Amino acid sequence: MKKALALVLLVFLFAVQVMNSYGIQRFPKPEFESGYVQPETLMPDPRAEVLAIMDIAVLLVSLSVVSWLVLKKRSRNGVFWMSLFSLAYFGFYREGCVCAIGSIQNVTLALFDTSYIIPLSALIFFVTPLVYTLFFGRTFCAGVCPFGAMQDLVAFRPQKLGSKLNAVLGVIPYLYLGLAVLYAATGTDFIICRYDPFVGIWRLNASFGMFVFAGILLILGIFIARPYCRFLCPYGVLLNWSSRFSRRHLTITPSDCIQCRLCENSCPYDAIDIPVTVKNPEDKRTMARKLIFIIILIPVLIFAGGWTGSRLYESLAGVNAKVQLAKQIVSPPKDSNQPETFEIQAFKSSGKQQSLAFAEASAMLGKFYLGGWLLGGFMGLVFGGLIAGLMITKHHTDYIPNKGTCFSCARCIDYCPVKMP
Amino acid sequence: MKQKLIIISALVLLLALLAFMVKDFFFSKPDSINPYDLELNTIRNGDTALTSYSETGQIKTSLDEIHGLATGTSGEILVSGKDGVEIFEATGTLKNKFNIEGTAQCIAVSKNGSILLGMTDHIEIWNNNGTKLSQWNSCGADAVITSIATDGDNVFVADAGQKVVYHFDKKGKLISKIGQKDPATGVPGFIIPSPYFDLGISKDGNLWVVNPGRHSFEKYSFDGRLLSSWGIASMAMEGFCGCCNPSNFAFLHDSLFVTSEKAIERVKIYNPDGSFLCLVAAPAQFEEGTKGLDLAVDSDNRILVLDPVKKYVRIFELKKP
Repeated sequence: MKKALALVLLVFLFAVQVMNSYGIQRFPKPEFESGYVQPETLMPDPRAEVLAIMDIAVLLVSLSVVSWLVLKKRSRNGVFWMSLFSLAYFGFYREGCVCAIGSIQNVTLALFDTSYIIPLSALIFFVTPLVYTLFFGRTFCAGVCPFGAMQDLVAFRPQKLGSKLNAVLGVIPYLYLGLAVLYAATGTDFIICRYDPFVGIWRLNASFGMFVFAGILLILGIFIARPYCRFLCPYGVLLNWSSRFSRRHLTITPSDCIQCRLCENSCPYDAIDIPVTVKNPEDKRTMARKLIFIIILIPVLIFAGGWTGSRLYESLAGVNAKVQLAKQIVSPPKDSNQPETFEIQAFKSSGKQQSLAFAEASAMLGKFYLGGWLLGGFMGLVFGGLIAGLMITKHHTDYIPNKGTCFSCARCIDYCPVKMP
Repeated sequence: MKQKLIIISALVLLLALLAFMVKDFFFSKPDSINPYDLELNTIRNGDTALTSYSETGQIKTSLDEIHGLATGTSGEILVSGKDGVEIFEATGTLKNKFNIEGTAQCIAVSKNGSILLGMTDHIEIWNNNGTKLSQWNSCGADAVITSIATDGDNVFVADAGQKVVYHFDKKGKLISKIGQKDPATGVPGFIIPSPYFDLGISKDGNLWVVNPGRHSFEKYSFDGRLLSSWGIASMAMEGFCGCCNPSNFAFLHDSLFVTSEKAIERVKIYNPDGSFLCLVAAPAQFEEGTKGLDLAVDSDNRILVLDPVKKYVRIFELKKP
């Protein structure tokens, strides 16, 4: 029933988009006829503060309701309907802005650029889901994030990827997070927003490339459930960390696990840890050897990553506007017929000295050099953690949700025959 | 096997998405094409099938800058510009040339043959021999005089700076101001974003003024009453577009309007009711960016177009069937 409803909704959404495209092609631009009085140009008022407060209120209420539905009511249906509401409100009504995922960049920029004043709503959208996750697990992902809701609607044939593939692909969000922080901290770009896959659909306005991007992601989502959330979302990294320490987290069974294995394949996100029975406990010597290896490996990987990142600083800085401008000044187009870029035209008309542009670019390169070390070091740490995670076997006897990767969607609950007393 | 294939395909798609992001972010080159640029080439190189006139002659001028064009009582062609006025025979032979102080933005010839020059903020009266007969009072520090029309007794002066038409008598005494915004009488007021503001007197003795910001012509009685207007704001051939068009106009003998435009440089003819009739000169016949194609019609109903870039008076005649 739910799948059928989701399918109908999806078809409707695409139908609206197709009609819109058809309309654009079908009708020419309007021509103003005689007698038309040009309207006065009006500057739109900024969005009313009360509406920003309403967004925050909706976020808080949604998070509370979803957390209650997951932990207290244990209702998958409730979570599903809440996710539809969030898709409608935060997605189609608010058009994907303000967004917890993108708020990473606002917070970063505010930390590194004192002239930037972060909007209160952006700050709250960044902090609140993390705080809730710290208490209740990733209930934000379950039913409040419109990105997750959008992908959840198309997860018709999810395939199991296996723990190793999940672990390897799971590194991508760390890199994305690192790059997003680097580019936001240097004031270069908000790359999370630039490659926001669904905002174009919600606004019915995006470049062709981004529509294709969103379309492919949704097609991908049929077979790999929530591909953006699992293998791209940089905010998911933070939620993953928070969720590992969550005070209360969704449990598959409300009581003791009866090892019926019914839930084993219920999770489309491969986020259920199957029991690991201890057959051959490792001796102390092996464990000590592993520990020493990890203790040595991680700093080495951090340094190696940092060094590699620092070597890439020029490439990383290549997209910065100040660096690009300096490059264009130094190397103008060889073909004299080729028109100057707008950046060069704007720079020339500003009357600024070239030395100023070079000094700014040089300072920016310095930031990227340091940023390259930090980003590389961070990725080294991530790889180190990944290797350590694969080397260390966690023993548990029940089927349990992985607190880091579980989206608390509550699908598994329905598969558990043990009901609340 | 099937599951494996699905997973591999999905992974390929995922990698393709990542590749798209990396390529788009790191390897896309800065664009030298302005995505917000108004694309005029289609119109500029558009339909010329409606061209009913052909260029039959050109008169080379020798002034540093040319701005105003008029025809005299005996068929002469007068060109005004920076520091001078040139008078040509209808055949194109230079008849006389005299110097003036400053730039005459516009020129008109009264019925008695005296030459009226619009000198930014005031009017000067000269004769054919280059003698200055009189100078009228300044219209104000903000005045930018762009056009003059006279029927002998009345002189109408278009002031783009103050967005008004002055009605003078032939001695230069101000009678009234025409076209100031007045909701009570329905006068909309002139919208003049740039100094292109033309006027003329029709055969039926009414004053026609271009309201360029509204892309329209407005017909006034000599006492300043708005009688009618026409105009089509459109990128199409039938209309006028841009910030302020048409830039100039003149009347053919049968009261048809000859209009010229800037940005899409073209000369067209409209019926007295404002319906489009034909094209005189297509954009391709002018240098791109040509502005101020002043117009005049001579006694043989030839259309004279002042081309300030090429510094020619270009003569267009109806194609013979």
